[in-house]
Amino acid sequence: MSAADRARAVLTRLVEASAIERILISTAALVLSILIGTAIVLVAGRMTTCAATDAVYYLGTGFCYDPVVVFDRLFLGALGEPFSGNWSPDGQFAVTLRETTLLVFTGLSVAVAFRAGIFNIGTQGQMVVGAMATAVAVLWASSFVSGALGTVLLIPFGVLVGAVFGGLYGTLPGLLKAYADANEVITTIMLNFIATGVTLYLVSGPFKDPGSAANQTVPLPEFARFPSLLFGSRQDFSLVAFAIGILAIGGLYYVIEHTAFGYDVRTSGIQPEAAEYGGVDAAKTVVASLTLSGALGGVAGAMYVMMILGTFQTGLPSYGFDGITVSILAGNNPLGVGVAALLFGILKSGTTVVQFATDVPPQLVGVLRGLIILFVAMPEFFRLLGRRLSPSGPERNPVATDGGRREGETDE
Amino acid sequence: MDRRTFVKATGVAGIAGLAGCSGGPSGGSEESTETATEESGGDGETETTAAETTASGPAANIGMVYATGGLGDGSFNDQAQQGAIEAEEDLGISFNEAQPEQVSEFSTFQQQFAQSTDPVYDLICAIGFLQADAVTETAESYPDQDLMIVDSVVDAPNVASYTFKEHEGSYLAGLMASMLTTRDYSAGAGSTAGDSTNVGFVGGVESDLIRKFQAGFEAGVSEGDGDVDVLTNYVGGFNDVAGGREAATAMFNSGADIVYHAAGNTGTGVFQAAQEQGGFAIGVDRDQSITKPSYSDVILGSMVKRVDTAVYNAIESVVNDNFPGGSAVSLGLEAEGVALVYGDELGSEIPQDVQDEVASARDSIIAGDISVPSSVQ
Repeated sequence: MSAADRARAVLTRLVEASAIERILISTAALVLSILIGTAIVLVAGRMTTCAATDAVYYLGTGFCYDPVVVFDRLFLGALGEPFSGNWSPDGQFAVTLRETTLLVFTGLSVAVAFRAGIFNIGTQGQMVVGAMATAVAVLWASSFVSGALGTVLLIPFGVLVGAVFGGLYGTLPGLLKAYADANEVITTIMLNFIATGVTLYLVSGPFKDPGSAANQTVPLPEFARFPSLLFGSRQDFSLVAFAIGILAIGGLYYVIEHTAFGYDVRTSGIQPEAAEYGGVDAAKTVVASLTLSGALGGVAGAMYVMMILGTFQTGLPSYGFDGITVSILAGNNPLGVGVAALLFGILKSGTTVVQFATDVPPQLVGVLRGLIILFVAMPEFFRLLGRRLSPSGPERNPVATDGGRREGETDE
Repeated sequence: MDRRTFVKATGVAGIAGLAGCSGGPSGGSEESTETATEESGGDGETETTAAETTASGPAANIGMVYATGGLGDGSFNDQAQQGAIEAEEDLGISFNEAQPEQVSEFSTFQQQFAQSTDPVYDLICAIGFLQADAVTETAESYPDQDLMIVDSVVDAPNVASYTFKEHEGSYLAGLMASMLTTRDYSAGAGSTAGDSTNVGFVGGVESDLIRKFQAGFEAGVSEGDGDVDVLTNYVGGFNDVAGGREAATAMFNSGADIVYHAAGNTGTGVFQAAQEQGGFAIGVDRDQSITKPSYSDVILGSMVKRVDTAVYNAIESVVNDNFPGGSAVSLGLEAEGVALVYGDELGSEIPQDVQDEVASARDSIIAGDISVPSSVQ
């Protein structure tokens, strides 16, 4: 059996893996990545110097960084010490959920485009546009209302504005792809830069907060921000936003799996020619799915402004790009996005805990984070790849016609 | 090579490599040598020795929250860390550091320091003006926690604010540049032509803070010679070496001899352009003829901003129990908060009359005879 055949067999096996097998594979990948991460932490601990009192000892050798502490802080710290007995609602867990909420939206944004066979790298830009629009619009509207009524009116308004502007910004590459045949990977990447540049101009000029040295808009009044119910008030986390995120997951799952539009999206993603032959308007589907994708990105921006920062400031964190990884990790399944976003949220918030609790440099924690994500995502990635490369199952074997070649033969 | 041999070989090589690494515990620290000898016992013992060290106690526990550039930026954050390290040596404090990656992490880290009970942090140092909002929030939620912020003013009874009069230092840089560009002068790898009367300013991202540098520089230039023009360019980033190089090259090509930058790492590109075009550059934040030694033959001087002084002063006041909570200190030329230092290599070649003029301008600013504008006219 040649190497290529063996690789193809492995891919086929991956494609055929059942749900339980896939979960087992991912768990094994997680464990493996932690083991390799442990080795890296130990090696890095030998390559730096520290006081003997700060070191840990394994097998008679001293190491400057303790991998057990690092991974303990990374996971348990992010969950807010669930086993220590003093789990507090104001603890780190709120930060984890806050990050998760945003990643749910950016992850869904990428996933919905992916399902339609479109690689939307522009979620970041759509988020930036949505955030900017929300910050300006809500600030304008907040002068008309106030108090609890203001919150009830402004939150949906802000989310809607974010969705509309993010959606419009997603429509742009959609139209370009559908009617001008422009590659969406290129256009969405370029539109990211445009979004960053234009918002920088707007926020350092016309909409700048004169009272701040930073390039930001005037901060929103307290009532125009997501209310913190039950917990997380100090961590800028709101259960309301989280609940909207859960609803979005469920809603998108329903739309994709159980509606006519979802059917169009899925078939276009799997086999565009066949979809068109079956009566799907390909151009319309492309535009619609990119608009929906952009709207979800815009909502992430609105959440960032109304929940976390309370203002639009240049230099938004790269939730949009993280969304791509979240989506791949989830196999582009909306339900999976929730789980993948939670894993990502834990890793992001755990990083700050590790930094605070140990001397491990943040760059090294970044490496560990990347390793975990790489390992967990790779099986899914190869599954996607395998599905494209090696059609499996007896019913999908190519039928040999006159002039057709049987499997294994090549003419080159 | 079959798989088993490969695995075995990697294993052996890996273990040998690990053992060969020069680092590990007790490699660097001086004070821990005695503890190191009685160390070999194991985890339990490690903990007791650690406990003893804390029992004897640092004078104060300080939490440092850096700006998003992180440590190793060769200017702002490293300068702040310098202040903490000096305080550790002189005052016997101990400090813990956090390097946020994004703006939303500022408040997370500040709160982690404020909440911590083991140890209790006596002071949290927030470095950079972007932390202002987070400091306002933290100061409100934790009224008993002392905080200090650099580059911004937060009005709260438990916060000490430190800002700098960057325009004053930049004025001196402008004065020096203006006097040198109007004469035929050469030193190191650069030279100026007396008949061209241009100098340049390269900024990072356009903001009120960076405009203070520009305003002071322009005022200094026109004080030196009213006919000298200042070419200005904002590159749009603090870590865009190629952009800085392009901007500065364009300035040198259109007749500028000396380019001043307030652009963080983007300034490295300005130095590169100066070397290629045979011009001069003026550094910022730290003495860049020392921190960037490969460009010391074109760096006339640097406008240093003593963030370390601010951090050190704040820590010292906490140790001495006279923390100036609620105060806003603006460090200018007088308190050595900002200064123009001459380049390590070229400093001795700067004409005496220029040095005298700069020194007398410095005295006049301190005496209040010259008032330097802090915003661009």
